[in-house]
Parts: sequence; structure tokens; C-alpha cells
Amino acid sequence: MYKYDHIDQTLVDQRVAQFRDQVARRLDGSLAEEEFRPLRLQNGLYHQRHAYMLRVAIPYGLFNSKQLRTMALIAEKYDRGYGHFTTRQNIQFNWVTLEDTPDILAELAKVEMHAIQTSGNCIRNITSDAFAGVAGDEYVDPRPICELLRQWSTLHPEFAHLPRKFKFAINGAKEDRTILLCHDVGIELKKSPSINHGELTADIYAGGGMGRTPILGSLIKTDLPWQLLPSYLTALLRVYNRFGRRDNLYKARIKILVKALSPEEFARQVEGEWIHIKNGEDNFTKAEWDRVAKHFTKPAYKSLPKLSNEQVINTASETDRAAFARWLERNVKPHQIPGYASVVLSLKPHGSVAPGDATTAQMLAIADLSDQYSFGELRATHEQNLVLADVEQSKLYELWQEAKRQKVALPNIGLLTDIIACPGGDFCSLANAKSLPIAKAIQERFDDLDYLFDLGDISLNISGCINSCGHHHVGNIGVLGVDKDGEEWYQITLGGEQGNDAAIGKVIGPSFYADEIPDVITNVINTYVNNRSEDESFIDAFRRIGVTPFKEAAYKNKDESTKKKEKTQSAGATS
Amino acid sequence: MSANPQIIAAHDQILHFPKGSKPIIENNEWLIWSGKNSKNKDEGANSTLPDLEHSKKNVLVPFSWWIVHHNEANVLAKAKAGQIGVWFAADEDILKHADMIEQGKTLWPVVAAHFPIFRDGRSFSTAAILRNRFQWTGEIRAIGDVLIDQLLQGARVGFDSFALRPDQKTDIALKQFDLFTVTTQNSWRGKRSLLEA
Repeated sequence: MYKYDHIDQTLVDQRVAQFRDQVARRLDGSLAEEEFRPLRLQNGLYHQRHAYMLRVAIPYGLFNSKQLRTMALIAEKYDRGYGHFTTRQNIQFNWVTLEDTPDILAELAKVEMHAIQTSGNCIRNITSDAFAGVAGDEYVDPRPICELLRQWSTLHPEFAHLPRKFKFAINGAKEDRTILLCHDVGIELKKSPSINHGELTADIYAGGGMGRTPILGSLIKTDLPWQLLPSYLTALLRVYNRFGRRDNLYKARIKILVKALSPEEFARQVEGEWIHIKNGEDNFTKAEWDRVAKHFTKPAYKSLPKLSNEQVINTASETDRAAFARWLERNVKPHQIPGYASVVLSLKPHGSVAPGDATTAQMLAIADLSDQYSFGELRATHEQNLVLADVEQSKLYELWQEAKRQKVALPNIGLLTDIIACPGGDFCSLANAKSLPIAKAIQERFDDLDYLFDLGDISLNISGCINSCGHHHVGNIGVLGVDKDGEEWYQITLGGEQGNDAAIGKVIGPSFYADEIPDVITNVINTYVNNRSEDESFIDAFRRIGVTPFKEAAYKNKDESTKKKEKTQSAGATS
Repeated sequence: MSANPQIIAAHDQILHFPKGSKPIIENNEWLIWSGKNSKNKDEGANSTLPDLEHSKKNVLVPFSWWIVHHNEANVLAKAKAGQIGVWFAADEDILKHADMIEQGKTLWPVVAAHFPIFRDGRSFSTAAILRNRFQWTGEIRAIGDVLIDQLLQGARVGFDSFALRPDQKTDIALKQFDLFTVTTQNSWRGKRSLLEA
């Protein structure tokens, strides 16, 4: 993986010093909170419901055991003994103090980490495929481009105060695991003999995003030579910076500008700007590519035979085989190199406190596992799990046993209980409703692994507010917390999907009370089970039979339940 | 902010940071005129230039005002004497008036770009366009809600003088430019840091 050179290291060290001074000025009162706010946000520091929260960047989700150990120690020393992995491949610490933050950043800088631009109205941490460099379906390793663009965007002066946050995702595989079209800019990397002499090119999608107005991005540029990415993106961001709406927070994202202008007109304006700078010195050079790409060569793989699934299962003891096979099916992914596989460690044990949480002990243990089984490297996924990307097939059983001990071996990857959830009202000051107890209640209801397996791939995403950090719009089943007259309600969307057939789910109707949600989900799932044809996934069945049967099932008990609730409430009011 | 509504508030001094030199604090010779002569007169386009005899002798006028008045004899005379510069509002689409800006290159000693609030970054792009599209080589001043913590970004996109908001501490401001010795993108000040071959 990428290793800092003295330029990177100097920059993060100096950034720590800069922020230390800003914090000192805030603490002595010479910097007002309103003016400090964008400064701290550009260093990942939020003020949440109960405390400060620090979001640390894991650029394109790739990190190593040394860095994970530092995260574990930060959780122990400065927080409450755990960290939270987010959908954008970052890690958050929920209980830090303002005073400690510069020291935390200094600790991070020692292991080539930072919190720069993990928040604020600037170019955020760039995300990519958690399986980059190893995925069986990859045609371009996106990591050198991710890293070059990380450097290009870090402390970019012109785009430090954009109308709103700005998120890049970069993909280079056949299957999109980045939700490319839900980003402000999605970069699809390609290599084709018929385009640009087989050199790396990029297709650019702009104007995607979730939140209040979910929109999928539009293709605005094809076959852009990779060297020209900085000038093209400068032009794109310049148009957005100048003309993105600043009068209304909810209309300030680039998606609103692209929609208002039309993708064609937006693309035309970007071209109009780009033509003046495309031949300038902002572009990447071959020397820069070489400098960065040398860090993304293959690790020292052994020459191993490719094992069949059956052979791998047979490495387990007889009593373990059924459970191990299940884990192999859900949590182990194909690899480019014979004899190797990638393993997803589930951070979604049933009944967990929060999807994506890892304790200090777990982080330390997982760091050891990565050293032992995967060249000391790890990846954070969009689904809030962790990946050991380079595991020898013959060691999978051993790893599974270790992972079980750490409670990160639940074979629920891609299943109903692999829930993406935002921190919700338990932590977030923006939330209208809680997310975590809903996730927990659903996991408890669907605790039967045989049943979950039978249901197959289903994504369930929960957001505690319309900002949709839990990405409910792209869950096959989405749950959105809403506030009605001071009460927490939950709205259901169905039919969302991430990946190549990305789609925004549809709201099915009036919202539900929290305690109705497990029944509602059960009814929706039963509808699928009753209607599916053989091997048909939830989303395929949904697309075939349409929303109506699901909707009817979801509201089956609604009248009765509402009456019951009203009765309880009125009894409560008079007692 | 200001006791005088026709003036955009700033330190009496400016922070001047010419490319290739050290940042210094200098006296401000320029009045930053909002284009509005009184509280009752919101329509800036018809207002008349402030008195340059009894206060500062140079004035930065709103670009929108310049567009309307630049052919008037009095205005032209002052411009030719080097007493008039323009400032661009954050929402000004300067590319729509490219001809006038080209012409202004021979007339205005200083141009400025306005920050209505510090977290509005539009003027960063305005400065970048002035430098790399229009090849403006003269002074570009940041005016309005200019705070210490945006100086570094401003200096890199093309600003070389800063009319800080009056409450900002100039001693801290002067230190901002020394915070980083490396950069990872090109800027008006210089190229990105690269490893030596």
C-alpha cells in the first residue's frame, strides 16, 4: 500500500500544527465558534449530541495493521474503547474532547493518517472498491488514481469553501461496489485497446447523491485520459463552486445544479472552462504515476494451487464443516491469484450496539489477524465491515476459528442483517430518530441463520434523518427516521439498489412506529418468500411483481396497531 | 459592521503579500466603496462616487457600478489618474464581461474580490480565473469577511493583498503563510512539491 514520502509526512505534520493553533485560539476565545466550525469540520471534528466526534480518513478504505493498532489505542486512550467504521470507509471516534484532538491527530500522523477533509464543504475522503487490486472482476486497479487524487485534493485552496460537501468515488471493476452513481463525482476507470491506445481513461459521472433529493449521477465525459483528471476536475469544481446554490443548504449540492442546468449544459460549461486549462501544468505526469503506482504492486504471493470450495471445506473438522461452509459462501470472495481469497469480517454481530463498531480488543486482534493472514493490510467496506484481502485458501479454516473468537465471523455478509445504519439519534445531533435500536430489533427478529441464508441477498439500510447517511435510498429495504410532532416515526422505501443496477427506492406510504418495524419487515420478507420463483433474489422479485403486494403486506396490521398505540397513549396521558 | 454604510469594513491597514516577497502590513490607500451612498438609497447603480478629496484618494468601486458609469468623463478621468479600481461581488460572473476586464487591465491598479461571508469560496475561483484566464498581473485584494484562517488559501489562488475584517489580529495573520512548506497542487504561487528525481 501507499507509503508517505517526506512531502506527505511534512504536510500532515504541519496540518496538525495548524489545527493545534486553531484549537488554542478557540479555547482562549479569540476564535468564535461560528468561525471555528468550518475549520474543525475540515479536520473531521464534529460536535455531536453528547460530545465531539472525530472522523479519521482511511483513503479509499485501505490501511495496515500498524494503523489499526493506533486506532485501537486512540479508542482506548481518548474515547470509550471502540471505534465506528463508516459507509465512506472512514473511522469515527464518538467521545473525544476538543482539547485532546490535536494530540490524537499527532498520533495519527505518526502512522501516516489524518482527518483532513473528512467533513466540511470541501472535497471529502475519496472512496473506492474495498476489493481494489484483488477483486476477481477488476479490469483496472483504481488505487494509484485514488492516491493521486487524494494528494491533488488535499488542502486544495480553491475548493476549501464549496457550496456543500463534495464526494468522489472511483471504480475499476465490472461490479460496482462503490455506489458510483450516488456520488457528486463518480470516476469509472477503463482500459481498452480501442480508446486512447489502450492507456487508462476515465468516464466521469456527475451530480449523484442521496439526502433529501436522491438523484443518480449522469455521464458527462467519456474517455478522459487519466493524466488530464486534475485539470478536468478543476474545471468541474470551478463551475460548481461559482454556480452551485448557496442560498439554500438543501439545494447546494452539485446534483441540484446539474439537474437545474441539465447534464448536457453542465457538461458544456465544464468543457468551456476546461478548454482554457486542459493543457496546463496541473495534469498528472508519468513520473507521478510511477512514484505512486510502485506502492500498489502485488504483495509476495506464493505460488499455490487453486483449491475448490470442497477442498477448502474439507480442511475443517467434521463438526465445523456446515458452519464453515456457510461462512465461505457469504464472507469469502474470489481473488485474482490462484490459492488466495478475500475475507470479509462482519462488524454486524446480531444484537450489536451499532453496525460498524469495533472495540479496542477487536481492533488489536484483527490487526494481528491481518499480519498473520493478509500481509498486514486491511480494507474498510462501504457496508461497514472489514476485509482481509489476501488470505491463502488453505488457511481460511484457521482464520475462521480466530475470527469466531473475536465475534467477527458471523456469516451474514450481504444478508438481511448486514445492516448499514447511521449513528442516528443516539449520537447525531441532526437525527430525527434513532437508527441503532431499529437495526438491533431487526437483527434480533431475524436471528435464524438458516432462514437468512434461504432469503439470500437483501440489503437493508437505515437512516435516522433525511440526510441519509445510512443510505436508505439504495437499500432493497430502506428505513428512514422522521419526526412528526416531536415523535419518532419510520418511513419504508423499497426497491433501492446499489451496484451496476443502482436505483433509488420508493417510499411505500405513511410511516410506522419504531416497535412496528420488525413486523413490517417480516411482512415484506414473507411477501417475497411467498412470491419468489426459484433462486430469485428479493430485488428481482420486487422488480417483477411490483410494489403493491409488498405495500399491502407492510400495512396489513397498521390500523390495528395504530389504534392500540393511540389507546396506550391516551391511557398514559390520564394516569 | 461599519459606522459608515457606504464603506466595506476593513482594517485601516492591509496585509500585502506580493508573489515572491514576504508578507507585510501596509497602510491602506484604497477606500472600499459599496456603491451605496446612503442607507436610503439601495440602488447602487445610480449612486455617485464618494468624495476622494478629504479621505482616501483612491476608490474600489463595485464592478456592477463600473459597467454603468465607466464612460462618464469624471469617472474616466479618475481612472486614468489611477484612482479607481473595481471589486467583484461573489456572484459576479466575470466571464460575461471579458472585454471590459481586458480593457480594465490597462486602467485599474488594483482589483478586489468580495467575501460576503468567510465560508463563501466563490471569490477563490474569481481570483483563480483572473490570474490564469485573464493573466491579470496586478494586485488582487480580498475584501469583506476576510479572516485569518482563509489567508493561506487566498494567497495560493491568486490574492496578494488582504483587507482583513477589523477584528482580526494582524500578528497572527502574518504567521499564516509560514505554516506549510509543501503543497500537493499547483497554485498561483508555485508548483506542487515533487520528489527530486
